[in-house]
Amino acid sequence: MLSIKNLNVAINGKQILKDFNLEIKTGEVHAIMGPNGTGKSTLASTLAGKEAYEVLSGEVKFKGKDLLEMGPDERAREGVFLAFQYPVEIPGVSVTNFMKAALNAKRRHFGLDPMDAKDFLKLMKQKMELVEIKKEMMSRSLNEGFSGGEKKRNEIFQMAMLEPSLCILDETDSGLDIDALRIVASGINKLRSADRSFLVITHYQRLLNYIVPDVVHVMFGGKIVKSGGKELALELEEKGYDWIKDEVTAEA
Amino acid sequence: MLPAPVNDQKITMSFADNIKSEFELADNHSDGLSEIRRDAFATFQKLGIPSNRHEEWRYTNIKTQLPEALSIAARKKWTPSKDEFNAFEGIKASKLVFLNGIFNAPLSSIIEEAGVTAGSLKEHLSHNKAITEKYFGKLVNKYEDHFSMLNTAFVTDGAFVHVKKGIAAQYPIFIINLYNSPEHFIQSRNLIIIEESSKLDVIVDFQNLGASTYYNHVSECFISKNADLNVTKLQTATQNTTAVHTLEADVERDAKFTCNTISLEAKLIRNTTNVRLSGENSQAHLNGLYYGNGKSLIDNHILIDHIVANCESNQLYKGILAEEATGVFNGKIFVKKDAQKTNAFQSSKAILLSDEASINSKPQLEIFADDVKCSHGAAIGQLSQDEVFYLRARGIHEKDAKSILTYAFASQIINTITIEELKVYLDNKLKERLHLDF
Repeated sequence: MLSIKNLNVAINGKQILKDFNLEIKTGEVHAIMGPNGTGKSTLASTLAGKEAYEVLSGEVKFKGKDLLEMGPDERAREGVFLAFQYPVEIPGVSVTNFMKAALNAKRRHFGLDPMDAKDFLKLMKQKMELVEIKKEMMSRSLNEGFSGGEKKRNEIFQMAMLEPSLCILDETDSGLDIDALRIVASGINKLRSADRSFLVITHYQRLLNYIVPDVVHVMFGGKIVKSGGKELALELEEKGYDWIKDEVTAEA
Repeated sequence: MLPAPVNDQKITMSFADNIKSEFELADNHSDGLSEIRRDAFATFQKLGIPSNRHEEWRYTNIKTQLPEALSIAARKKWTPSKDEFNAFEGIKASKLVFLNGIFNAPLSSIIEEAGVTAGSLKEHLSHNKAITEKYFGKLVNKYEDHFSMLNTAFVTDGAFVHVKKGIAAQYPIFIINLYNSPEHFIQSRNLIIIEESSKLDVIVDFQNLGASTYYNHVSECFISKNADLNVTKLQTATQNTTAVHTLEADVERDAKFTCNTISLEAKLIRNTTNVRLSGENSQAHLNGLYYGNGKSLIDNHILIDHIVANCESNQLYKGILAEEATGVFNGKIFVKKDAQKTNAFQSSKAILLSDEASINSKPQLEIFADDVKCSHGAAIGQLSQDEVFYLRARGIHEKDAKSILTYAFASQIINTITIEELKVYLDNKLKERLHLDF
């Protein structure tokens, strides 16, 4: 599904990702953990196509296609979805109109007609139930006045509507209380399937109790320094990130 | 003080002679306005047509846009059929239809309401000298202006609207001005008088049904004590139109005046809106939305004159300029010496969608009282990069993302319209202009 080879990325002249490598097979759930400033968000933003991030060298293949060649909107239509850590507020654009535009853009990309209005509303209601969003939210401006938890649930709702192939969750759990976390994780779990892959970026192990990963990676200094099964996350929780830092510096 | 009018000697001889001889020929009306007309014409001759050396027309060179051969008094006789223009069937209102400034009864449909009069200004002037004595031409004399003087000198008909004391009109008055006039500079007019404690909604619409059109429109609005007038001006079918709109309003004590100006099509349109808050505790709320593309020029000049104490005014204007369009915004707030406890606010925001689009924005505050709250803000910029990225990250093409965000920016103004069907019409018109189909 996703193949990242020797990716080097910089922002504002400073290099963040250093010879980054990662392979995600279809249907797998990968978690990336690591201390702050180690490049986790840079990875997410680069995959989404944010212009401020400069790809110095390397290759990213998504379903066999060159992802770096595509603009952010093309990547999304092809099936990449980034659930933002800080979703932006857009006053004046309702959740409904936004979702309709996004969904129909994807349908057009695959040669389909825009969705019928009645079917669309039915779909909206169905997906809102997944993350326990009330139908009043449909007519509100996108993310405007939403609490942190509501914003994150809205990201998962959008994910459910667009049915992407690769879901990148950028610290979706940060700032959430235990109830909000439960709802968000439950929504994500309902979207797990054999055709869909997840890249869960998180600072805390807590989320991984709910979204059990197939593979856990630890990032440090702009690259993955350790990979393992879900037990690795528990080991990190126990020993903290200093343990990794010591290992890495010892090897150097 | 408004800048002294510049006497522009550069009006070519043929244009000046043209207008003078037209005036002499036309000056035989029996509506009792001869003296008012003569005075107005004399003032116009002093002032002339402004060039861009005049401060108030610095960015709007109307002189070069009015062909010398344009005639003023002559008028082409023409009657469009019902399906040639937008009669706004979905909005229940008293409809007054004007063809090149002249009232047309067959195309109009007036809903009878006690205490509400709407009809031809010419007709009412011939029956009622009191109107002339008390109202007609009284507001345009406060701020002598080239075009309102020209209009007063030549106008023969227009809309007359009057609401009696204490009446809250149930239906809006919808004035539909149809123009088809590539060779004439049509003079059209409204006179709106609402008496003490009355309430009225007025919609004034302008439609160009010809290839190109030139007109000069003046509205005088008298809002008496404790009354409430809401005027919405629509310039949504004014493609290829070169026009000057002047609206003068006088707001007496405890009264409220709201004016929404929506300009979505233009070749060159100048909107001058002058509001006198002449009674204590009165309010004026001016909202404007303008969208220009191609080589359009849309110019909004506002003056709010706080003459007495305890009055409130708000100006909220939003502009979208695409391609090579130009926007002009000049918002004046005058606070006279006795206007203590004035609250005056102004916000002018514009989005430039291309490198060739431009806007000239000038707030002008002249404050002579010492206990006032005045603020103004002007923001000119492009769409937020973060917002564009968010929409693109969900699969929306860049062009569509920008249209959606531009629509969101503009819809704040459309949401100030209180007549629901009108709001829907404007919402659809805006989406059409932005090529949005949701």
